Amino acid sequence: MRRETQNILLLLIGGALLKIALTGTYLRYVKPAHQPWLIGAAVVMVVLAAIAIVHDVRAARPGAEPPHDLHDPDHEHNHSARSSWLLLLPVLSIFLVLPPALGADSVRRAPTASTTTAESALYPALPPDDLLAITMADFSSRAAFDRANSLNGRRVLLTGFIVQDADRVYLARLSIACCAADAFPVRVLLTGNAAAGLSNDTWVRVTGTLVAGSATKENEYVPALDPAALTRITEPENPYEG
Amino acid sequence: MATTAPSRRKVTSLEVLCAILVLAVLGQDWIASWLDAPAVRTGATVFVAVCAQALPFLVLGVLVSGGIAAFVPASALERLLPRKQALAVPVAGLAGVALPTCECAAVPVARRLMRHGVPTSVALAFLLAAPAVNPVVLVATSVAFPDNPEMVAARLAGSLATAVGMGWLWARFGKASWILDRALSRAPATDRPRWRTFAETARADLVDAAGFLVIGGLTSAVLAVVIPRDWIEALGGQIVVGVIVMAVLAVLLALCSEADAFVAASIAGLPLLPKLVFLVVGPAVDVKLFALQAGTFGRAFALRFAPATFVVATACAVVSGLVFLGVSA
Repeated sequence: MRRETQNILLLLIGGALLKIALTGTYLRYVKPAHQPWLIGAAVVMVVLAAIAIVHDVRAARPGAEPPHDLHDPDHEHNHSARSSWLLLLPVLSIFLVLPPALGADSVRRAPTASTTTAESALYPALPPDDLLAITMADFSSRAAFDRANSLNGRRVLLTGFIVQDADRVYLARLSIACCAADAFPVRVLLTGNAAAGLSNDTWVRVTGTLVAGSATKENEYVPALDPAALTRITEPENPYEG
Repeated sequence: MATTAPSRRKVTSLEVLCAILVLAVLGQDWIASWLDAPAVRTGATVFVAVCAQALPFLVLGVLVSGGIAAFVPASALERLLPRKQALAVPVAGLAGVALPTCECAAVPVARRLMRHGVPTSVALAFLLAAPAVNPVVLVATSVAFPDNPEMVAARLAGSLATAVGMGWLWARFGKASWILDRALSRAPATDRPRWRTFAETARADLVDAAGFLVIGGLTSAVLAVVIPRDWIEALGGQIVVGVIVMAVLAVLLALCSEADAFVAASIAGLPLLPKLVFLVVGPAVDVKLFALQAGTFGRAFALRFAPATFVVATACAVVSGLVFLGVSA
């Protein structure tokens, strides 16, 4: 591959990273803390390519620097020719397709049990709010393992998407630790038929109460929620928890 | 530039690139319709995620590599490292603490060290240690295993032992001929300004390695969709099978070393020892690293180094687990 092509590919991939980092779509792929990294890396790529392009253009001008400096003596060109073409894949994926955040398909693929601790424990006290906004991960681990049963009788507000799986309707959310490759799901069974007609990946906000004692070893600690109200919402800016 | 080059009948890569871009834009709808299948969509998201997560670390790695090439004279490195290889290997392993990133950054740095005259065994110890023993990874591990602080010590010991063990094995059995000449050849001295050397080295390293990173991302995206996660569940308390499966899984999933602890911790019903194996093997050898190493050091090297690392890492993890976690784990 020619040097000019390499530089243009670098500009493209840098531009692609910059695009997702600045428009907020990067949250579909990595966690929020990665934004400065993405911007930094994109800027470095663009600057490195720009330096090389400016240098090459100057060197190509008649009477400028001697041409032997055009190719770095430290780097025999052409040897990596073919692999660099693959950089087009992320570039095209980002500019043309922009894959959506992981959703129902990943949840159904993953094993059901997903809680980090498998022992009962005491959790920090919950705020006394009348309607308790709580993450799906916190809700499901408290439902399964809280010795104080702090969720019993509380009205909670959960945000997630619908997963239809084997005649049951779940509310689900994925947690990521670094990027979408390590996403793991949390699911909550929705009782009744409040969500019956909703298709997979529909984002909803649900108020309801925990069905006490519903998360057991037998159902792999998936708690059940008795929904009182369910509203459709647009996908949140950060589709993941964690 | 193409305009000033003498006219040739050969199609240049620049023209091919333009043609691909035009075709892709024209065929956008067709490409998008491909992604309608949920499995393909999941794979595409994982692919972009791995690239978006790993490329910044690779950029950091090539900047460090460029910095070494431009500003650190080879003689300074020679003075820093103990003269005896057997001693220099563990020193390089501990030096991995200084590069708090995941594994993608370590590959260009290790190659730069080799080209700067650092013995291969020493550079390889650094390559294996850097992603696994740095403070960021250890803190992430302690956060992921709040009830088992001994996991941090076990991971540190297991990974360090893997790095030092592989370094010593290379010093004893390794052959320079397995590594591509260009990965070892010393950079000729130039009279260019240092910042030019820095920028050009970083650029060349980035173009070299990024393509292989994409191969790795592609592989792990396909495997993320293809591997049924359910079979981890079926392992239950089977410790030996668990160790082997988790070691293989660490290679196939190719997770970032800063995130793998959370994934391991989230697998319910699995004893600690297989989880530890997952954490020690993952940063040392996985499909993404294999692609990067094959590209950087050559296929002959990667085909020998990766399986050896896999065996050594699994063994070190098991021994470290027995020491730190106890036999009951």
